[in-house]
Amino acid sequence: MKLRDALDLLRHVPADAEPVVIYLACGFTPLHFKALLAAEIWQVSHKKAEIHSGLYGDLLGSLQTAGESGADFVVCLAEWSDLDPRLGLRSLGGWSPALFPDIVGTTGRRILELQRSIENVSASVPVALSTPTLPLPPVSFTSKEQAGTLDLELRACVAALAASVARLPNVRVLNASYLERQSIAGVRLDAKSELLTGFPYSLPHAAAMATMFARLMSDLPQKKGLITDLDDTLWRGIVGEVGVGNISWTLESRAQIHGLYQQLLVALAEAGVLLAVASRNDQKVVDAAFARPDLILSKDKLFPIEVGWEPKSRSVARILHAWNISADSVVFVDDCAMELAEVAAAHPAIQCHRFPTHDYQSAYDLFERLRDCFGKGILLDEDRLRASSLRRNAGPTDSQPLLNGDNFLASAKPEFIAKYCDAMVDPRALELINKTNQFNFNGKRHTLASLSRRLQNPGGFIMVVSYKDKYGPLGKIATLCGTRLDDTVHIDTWVMSCRAFSRRIEYWCLEELFSHFAVNCISFDFEPTERNSPLQLFFTNVLGLPPFRGCKVARNDFLTRFPRPPQIQLESAHA
Amino acid sequence: MHEIQQRLISCFSAVFPELTTVEIVSATPDGTDNWDSLSRVTLLAVVQEEFEIEFDADCMASDISFEDILARVTEAVRNRIPSSLSARSHDIG
Repeated sequence: MKLRDALDLLRHVPADAEPVVIYLACGFTPLHFKALLAAEIWQVSHKKAEIHSGLYGDLLGSLQTAGESGADFVVCLAEWSDLDPRLGLRSLGGWSPALFPDIVGTTGRRILELQRSIENVSASVPVALSTPTLPLPPVSFTSKEQAGTLDLELRACVAALAASVARLPNVRVLNASYLERQSIAGVRLDAKSELLTGFPYSLPHAAAMATMFARLMSDLPQKKGLITDLDDTLWRGIVGEVGVGNISWTLESRAQIHGLYQQLLVALAEAGVLLAVASRNDQKVVDAAFARPDLILSKDKLFPIEVGWEPKSRSVARILHAWNISADSVVFVDDCAMELAEVAAAHPAIQCHRFPTHDYQSAYDLFERLRDCFGKGILLDEDRLRASSLRRNAGPTDSQPLLNGDNFLASAKPEFIAKYCDAMVDPRALELINKTNQFNFNGKRHTLASLSRRLQNPGGFIMVVSYKDKYGPLGKIATLCGTRLDDTVHIDTWVMSCRAFSRRIEYWCLEELFSHFAVNCISFDFEPTERNSPLQLFFTNVLGLPPFRGCKVARNDFLTRFPRPPQIQLESAHA
Repeated sequence: MHEIQQRLISCFSAVFPELTTVEIVSATPDGTDNWDSLSRVTLLAVVQEEFEIEFDADCMASDISFEDILARVTEAVRNRIPSSLSARSHDIG
């Protein structure tokens, strides 16, 4: 984005747009970067960014201020001059080789301080960090083709910092490799701007950084599931024609691209992505193909496997039903343009990708796009459980509806555990709030900062519910946020994973609240949304009429009408 | 000339959205609200980006009016070395 376009765009942001407060921690004058970042945030998230920054030349001080600023996000731009001013253009501290050990030592100490500051700040505010993006000045005595030991040691220090803080749950490090594609290293520095104004970035570099940071901070819903074709997609060859023994996915058979695709799908499955098959094929043939022991993607990672001769759009519809997610959360991959078009016509929201069987580079590009579609900041235990719990759900619900059978439910030996966050917000609570649609109380999203502030409010609480039964664990599946005031608990956020439906967990959540807070009334900041009809049904059942903003449930009435079978135990604890 | 002026007006308009076109063409640092050092740096960055030119350091540091900037942009655009010549001189060098 050009600076002029950014300024024009910002003029048209509505005054009442949802705000987001960013604290920009950097040692230089951020100048145009602020406008570019605000414009990109508006484009990516439709939020009006209010950007604050600290004092020139004081990155660590800025970080400290950022932690106390009440910002929703901290963007930290560390450049070489923040690690040692002699590595910038505005200092004349010397580039003598005799100073190299001191420069390395200073940088190492600054990096440790930076690491500690980031650890502290990220406890309450998410931090997006870029390590130095500008070239090192010509300090080293080597020719430009030869890497100097000073350069290498400094870069090793920075790499260690990035690897260390990237492990923190609320820190996201800008991907330097991807930045290299977006911003050519040789034209990132604007020496004139740095010397005259203290802003070191060329405009194209500042724009590339702003784009990446806006995306890095956004919690846009990622895709949840991938439906794949089999023939000439998961493997090379049409299994019904060439036979099970002649389909291939290896280098020797010039079908490695299919092996890489299978490998990618395994990795996606282990990161919590749902995988299913939609194939026009014969079931017995497909079963035989999946019995091959050398297949990289095993059958147990796929659910459901829809095989038959119907239009693929019908298979896709059944898969979406089994997953209980909408088409806009799903990617469909097939080598056949006609099949893709047929599915896209029936499910316009689904994202379709053609598998380019004979174009290796395009296939590789597709792998990168698929990774990006399902990209996530951290992996949680729930990611590992998601597919297996869906598979388990498919069994009993087909034949025996759980809602109508408390006895069946009790026989499943359910364990319901409610934990209350004390000081730190559980990252899974935030993830649930920001990705759940169907059982979402009012559609409101939160940031880590807004949830952290809630815990500091008098009476504020965040409850995270875990569930397991004899069929296996579901992990943390619900989050409730609210405030206790006198004899009432006021709930303003309530979300529950669709994997947890049909277990009466929502009823136990209310019972837990009545019990834990010993109150006689719960009020709800409910708002209908386009997609929260499952939650509306629940409330209609509880209230006896459709829910409305401010609706209330009384303790005695609720416990009388919805008694819990005595075999089912609730457990409550502080996190 | 006319096209350069129009594009320059657009640049001014992005930085000083409250100014009308008539006000822009007669704009000076002293006679324009909000024309401070920050907006000057932003304005010159927008203009450099728009016309793919570089102002010298003196220009960046001095207070110049719309008319001054228009003259400098016009000269810079007129004197711009065609890319083919630039490439040839690089080869020779």
